[in-house]
Formats: sequence, C-alpha cells, structure tokens
Amino acid sequence: MIELATHVPSLKQLQEYDLSAYDALYLGDFTCPLYPGNFTSSLPELREGVRRVKGMGKKCYLSLYAIPKDSDLDSIRELLSGSQELPLDAIEVHNLGLLRVVQELRPDVPIHLGVFGNLYTDETARVLKGWGVQRVFPNAELSLEEVLYIRDHAAIQVIVPVHGKIPLVISASCFVTEYAKIVPTHCEETCAKGHWLTHDDWQMKNIGRANLSGKDLCLLEYLDLLVRQELDAFYIHTLGEDAAYVKAVGCIYREALQRAAAGEQFCRPEWMEHLRSLAGPGLCNGYYFGMSGQDYVGRELALQCSRC
Amino acid sequence: MSKLMAPGGTLPMAYAVLEEGADVVYVGVLGWSRRGSDVELKDEEIKDLVSFAGMKGKEVRVVLNTMPGSIEVPLLLKKVDMYSGWGVTGFMITDPGCMVQVRKHFPEIAIHVSVGTGITNAAEVQFYKDMGATYVILPYRMWLDDVRAIKRTIDVGLEIFLFKTDKQDGIICPGKCTMSSYFSFQRWVDGEGKDYFYGSANRGGDCLRICQVGWSAEPDEYQLSKKIILKGNPRLWFLDLPDYIKAGVEYFKVPGRDRSDVLVRDIVRFYRKVVDDILASNGGANLETYVPELQEIMKRWASERNRRDDRLVARAKD
Repeated sequence: MIELATHVPSLKQLQEYDLSAYDALYLGDFTCPLYPGNFTSSLPELREGVRRVKGMGKKCYLSLYAIPKDSDLDSIRELLSGSQELPLDAIEVHNLGLLRVVQELRPDVPIHLGVFGNLYTDETARVLKGWGVQRVFPNAELSLEEVLYIRDHAAIQVIVPVHGKIPLVISASCFVTEYAKIVPTHCEETCAKGHWLTHDDWQMKNIGRANLSGKDLCLLEYLDLLVRQELDAFYIHTLGEDAAYVKAVGCIYREALQRAAAGEQFCRPEWMEHLRSLAGPGLCNGYYFGMSGQDYVGRELALQCSRC
Repeated sequence: MSKLMAPGGTLPMAYAVLEEGADVVYVGVLGWSRRGSDVELKDEEIKDLVSFAGMKGKEVRVVLNTMPGSIEVPLLLKKVDMYSGWGVTGFMITDPGCMVQVRKHFPEIAIHVSVGTGITNAAEVQFYKDMGATYVILPYRMWLDDVRAIKRTIDVGLEIFLFKTDKQDGIICPGKCTMSSYFSFQRWVDGEGKDYFYGSANRGGDCLRICQVGWSAEPDEYQLSKKIILKGNPRLWFLDLPDYIKAGVEYFKVPGRDRSDVLVRDIVRFYRKVVDDILASNGGANLETYVPELQEIMKRWASERNRRDDRLVARAKD
C-alpha cells in the first residue's frame, strides 16, 4: 500500500487547499513555531485539524518544531500532554531531545524522524527504533542506494521525498527579522511568497526560518525504480508553496505512482512540463544518484546506480 | 580541573600547541573529520604524535566526526581499535549509532559528542549521555546559562569552544546545514574504502562556505539593499572564562585546525597565560589587561579566515 504525504502548516491551509491526492498529512510547520496558526502552537486548532484529517480518511501525523531550545520545550510538553485523546497516527520529531520527551509523554504513538534528524546510518536507525521510531526520513545527502541499505539492514520504514524543494538549512531566527530588523506584519504572506536568494547562478528559496533548494527535487521519471524497490512511503515538500502547487504536484504523483505500481506508463511529457513550470529555477534529483543536490541526472545515468 | 585543548591541523601545529601548553591536542583523520584533507593527519603521523604527547604527559583526541555511510561503520570501529591501541583515549563522534557501537566495544574510551550534532537543548544532551557520551561539545550559540543548567541536571562532561557567535539565533551550523553540498559535491573512495564527499562537512569533505558569499534577496520589500552574508562568524572570547571554569566546564577548545601553524601556536600561548592566571588568582585576575593582545590575534584570525573562505568558495564554483 503506497502512501503519499505532505506537510500542512495550519488549519487555514487544511481548509482551503485541495489535498485529495495525499494519503497522509503531517500537521504543523516544523521550521517555525511562530508561523501563524501553526498546529503546534494551538491545541484547539490541532484538535480540529486532526478531526478534519481523520474525516477525510487520511492518516494524521503531528510534526513538531525541529530545533527547540529549552525554552520551547515547556509549550511542546503542554501540547503533547493535551493531545492524549487525539487519534494521531504518529508524531514527527527532528530533535533527539524531543524524541525523549515524546517517548515520555506519548509512548502510545509511533514516532517518525524528520528530515533535520540527521539520519545517515543503519546503526543510528537501529538505535532510534529502540526509542519508538518506526519511520525515518534519511538525510537529503544520502544516495538512493544508501537509503535502501538503511531500510534493509535496520528493518525500518523509510519515507522518500519524490518532489519539492529540499530543506537545506534551518535557522533559529526569521530571515526578515534578522536582516531587516523588523517583524513582518503579515508573516504568513511573507513566508508563503518566500524570498529568492541569489548569488551568480546559485539560487535558494528562503521561507522564513529555512533555506530550501532553488530547484525542485523531481523523481517523476524514476518512480518505477522506487516502486520496484518496494518503497512505500513517499513525500512531497510543499511548505512555502501555494494551493495550486500543492494540488497539481500531488495529483500528478498520485496518478503516476498508481500507474508505476500497476506497471503502466507513468511519466507523461505534459506532466514533466507542468512540474518544470511550477519549479522556478528548474528540476534536480537531489543526491539520490551520487551527484550534488542541484544536478538533474537523467534516467540513463540513474540506471547505473547498483540498486536501480 | 579544566583543560586546554588545541588543534593539530598539521603535525608541526600539533607539536607546537603541546609545546605551548595545551593539555590535549585534537587531530582529524584523513577523510573522517569535518575539515578538508589538507588539515587532516595520516595514520602514521597520529601514531608519532601519540608517542610524543605521551612522553610529555599529554593526551591526543582523534576526530572521527563525519557522518559515515552505513557500510563505513565497521571501518570507523577498526580505526578506533587501532588508535586506542596506540594510546589514544578519546574520540569526537557525531553519529549516534557509531557512539553506541564505540561504547559497546571500547568501554573505557572517552566519547566527545561532536559539535556537528547541532544540539539545541539540554534534553538532547541527555540523549547523547544515554548513548554513552563522556563529554558533549556545546555549539557556539549555547552560553553560560546553558552550561549551568546542563551541569545542574545532567552528569556529563562539557567541552566549550573558545569562540562563540554574537547571538544565539541564526542558522544552525554546524549540524543542520547541507547548503554547500547542494551546490558542489564530489565523491571518490580511497584505498581503505572511505568515501569522500568533497563539499559536505557532514560527510567528511569540507564545507565550501557558500554562506559567506554575498546573496541578494528578491523581493526586496524590506529594502535590505545590500548583499547578505547568511551566517555570522564566531569570535574568540575569554573575559567570562572564570565563570565557565567555575561552572565546571572540563575542556576549553581552541579552534583553528585550518589556520596557520604560527597563528594557532600564538593563540594557545595566549590562552595558556590567561587560564593559568585565572587558576593562580582563584578567579580574581584582571583579564582586561589581555584585551589588546586578543584583539591583535583576532585581526590575524579574520584575515586568515577570509583567505580560507575565498579559496573554498572558488573551489565550489570550479
């Protein structure tokens, strides 16, 4: 059973976005606790969010702040304690201190390790399993071969991002506040649009407290390879994207994954064109095939990967 | 008892810092530390250094703080076995799985949790203590209050860099950054089977400092109007050293494996004097008299850093 997941930061997006393509939703923006309406900053909104997601028949995960200081932990503890009655399918953590806190307060809920959890080895995946982690998001720098090695040798589920910008770095402060010395009056709008950071031909996208790749990771061409390896949890990064992007990319991958699983033609030229048009600076393959994150390898070279 | 730890980016640097009064020297292993190969030592150099340090009653710490690939973990354990056989008593490590394995196979070895873990809270320090850590190296953004809070609640040794950032926010580096490798990343495998990832500090190459080039932001609705540097540089510090010593910090670490041998030697000489003065005066030393000397050192530090950054950025653009 294939799962396609993404993050939804707040109730506003949950209500307004077409999320029908996704099987599972991570509630909360893990990059910024101050994001307006962030599910992690309001128990009533989280409660309503969980109710709605479950009402849609989807899996519902809570995504916690990736880099909490000690001063952030009290409010997170409060949220976790208050979430006892919520039917969460998992809680995502990126911070190993928070992993201890979640295991203490919600030992009944499976834990997912997020992208900033810095998972590089099967040894660490095995250690984390002992702490209740059932799914890991391997570090973006790993190749597909290394991701599969971790899954096979640690016997743990891996979630594989197939599309969207790659989170490259997280910051404990807001980009606008840090450089313009002001708090944006409309955080949500500022972060939704983001800022394009440019140096010569290098580009990144800033969404407030995180810098993302300029190009969109795109694995549409390679979905058969992923399905053949019996990967079953896929992710599209949509934080900082608008409703049209979330819907369009989700729908393309929903259909493509179903076709790939059925052994049918799964990569339509018009889909690639549409994804290119949404991506801004272009598409890349991340580190999956052993190249730098911003390169697009192409299917022929990718097939030289020993596990493809 | 607080100890002064200093870098050995080259063998002459390692000898020099021990001669100048460092209690411990830390050295990177070719391909296994977060710095480039030009400031890492070969195995035979480490063996010679351990012998030299032992004769002077001093110690060597070996930096194995890359995130290895899964298949490299046995090689890391083999390295630990070899170096500990030569007399190395402690290692800097980042990967939690590797820490657990090192603790399991080498129960007497000191494990220093690398700054590459990007720790942000005391609960995380406790996690690494649970993994078998002997010492935790705190990031530049964690200051005296954090040290005191950790020391109050967790029975673990602490290691502090003798440089820190001006503020406690900003990009989480090292630890949560892959900007460098996104733009420039090359791989090759050496004769031992170690995979090099040039462009990724996490994986044993080098960070190519792309945060230090001037970035422009669009839209510029806040009129930033100038090129932005994405990360501030930490600065050498010493005025509140007495408070940190009193708080129980075990290791004070001089940075600079990739600086010149002469500059690092002078920095160690400076800090040795300061620490000895603090200890001899029971915390009552007048440290202001040392300010001009540190200012001169900081100028040289900044000059060498800028040259290094230019060199690394040029490589990223090759």
